[in-house]
Amino acid sequence: MRTALAIARKELSIYFTTPWAYVVFTAMVALSSFFFMGLLQTFQEVQEMAQAVGWNKLPEDLAAYRNLTDGVVVQLWGVVLIVTLFVAPFLSMRLFAEEKRNKTFELLMTTPVRPFELVLGKYLGGLGIISATLGLTIVFPLLLSAFGSSSSGAVLEWPTVLLGYGAVLLWGATCMAVGMFISALTESQMVAALLTFAVMLPWMLLRGLAAGVEEPLRSLINYLAFDSQLSNLIKGVLDLKALVFFLSVILFSLLLTHRTVEAQRWA
Amino acid sequence: MAMIEVQNLTKRYRDRSAIEGLTFSVNEGEILGFLGPNGAGKSTTMKILTGFLPPSQGTAKVAGFDVFEQPLEVKRRIGYLPETPPLYPEMTVRGYLKFVAELKKVPGHGRKAEVERVAGLTGVTEVMDRVIQNLSKGYKQRVGIAQALLGSPPVLILDEPTEGLDPSQRADVRSLIRGLAGKHTLILSTHILPEVTMTCEKVLIINQGKMVAYDEIKKLASVHGQAENVSLEEIFIKLTAA
Repeated sequence: MRTALAIARKELSIYFTTPWAYVVFTAMVALSSFFFMGLLQTFQEVQEMAQAVGWNKLPEDLAAYRNLTDGVVVQLWGVVLIVTLFVAPFLSMRLFAEEKRNKTFELLMTTPVRPFELVLGKYLGGLGIISATLGLTIVFPLLLSAFGSSSSGAVLEWPTVLLGYGAVLLWGATCMAVGMFISALTESQMVAALLTFAVMLPWMLLRGLAAGVEEPLRSLINYLAFDSQLSNLIKGVLDLKALVFFLSVILFSLLLTHRTVEAQRWA
Repeated sequence: MAMIEVQNLTKRYRDRSAIEGLTFSVNEGEILGFLGPNGAGKSTTMKILTGFLPPSQGTAKVAGFDVFEQPLEVKRRIGYLPETPPLYPEMTVRGYLKFVAELKKVPGHGRKAEVERVAGLTGVTEVMDRVIQNLSKGYKQRVGIAQALLGSPPVLILDEPTEGLDPSQRADVRSLIRGLAGKHTLILSTHILPEVTMTCEKVLIINQGKMVAYDEIKKLASVHGQAENVSLEEIFIKLTAA
């Protein structure tokens, strides 16, 4: 266990002393700020419209804009999910591929480190960096809370916000797990990143396929698509089914990574 | 029971065999020199001994533990320098050695001292806080040797340890290796024949995956039907001519 922590610490130290992580931080902050501004703008417009004509005169889907939580924060989390899907591969790509490139994989395989400790350590390191990346986005709800005003009670429904944020973190953890497995399959970091992206994006959009197929395949596809699993969690609904789904994906990825590392012994 | 025992070791890939039927042993405290042309199978043998690659046939035992059946026990007792030193370019020398010490399960309270010790032995103390990718080849190589020494493992397997070093650094490594004999068992591979004569008692010459000579250096000349004073180089060239 201690070896796993040592490996995690080493991954984090390398992440924070090389440019990649900072590029990812910048991308995350830039993109989410951009969309945050857009959402605030829309929110303001809808609020003004509502003040003019009253809430019942407005179309159904604008009802979300009645409060800052549903109108801005939940939608912001949705954006952050997409940004994470794009940036996580660039963080996870180096977890194993770089070891093989550096020839340090031999070091890890010839010291008394169990494959399970190696996989766990690297995953913990990956979790650390994605949490740091996503941690940057908590500034937005905080800003709203500080500068917003509400006619009744608190500015934001913090339980909803935090549950949605938990979903974002869970999603980040899932991306890192899948990304780590793919990184273990190749020596090239670029291939690992692109392959991770090529796996995660269609998986997220799988629901689009569902319309074109019949039952029971349609239900299966709907179940497996990331998008549908996340939709409730993001709104702050504690959907245990979705929780189990993501934890299963994470565990399965870790298991596959372990197998891949073990396979070296049987080469 | 010898410290390192290899029986009929074979490693085959799809279309060729890297090593075939290697059998040798190294007693505790001995130094074995591994010689051979490029591509002969020296690195492959070392990778099998350290548990990085599995053999296709045959057995390898270190300190009585089978490399394939009990790899963890073997890895606890080995310090290994691969052909390319396994360095993390973004880390400092100190950070790197501390990390490897953790991997080798050097107990926490003694880690700092152990890192300083191996740094002193290999002459890298002056560059402890430099980032590895900024070091010269010579320093990088010495950091690689340093990591193999961490934890003072009973068995040391060094693949071309003096690669990239200038003559005085080579002399330092040679005396380091001589100093390790007796307390440690060593296998080292090299192209630099004079070094073998200066440090090793036994020599194994391998060519195209097969053993072509395996004996004490003194006896090598007479076994292969040469005059007493023929050099190792001549024997090497003759045996690897095929």
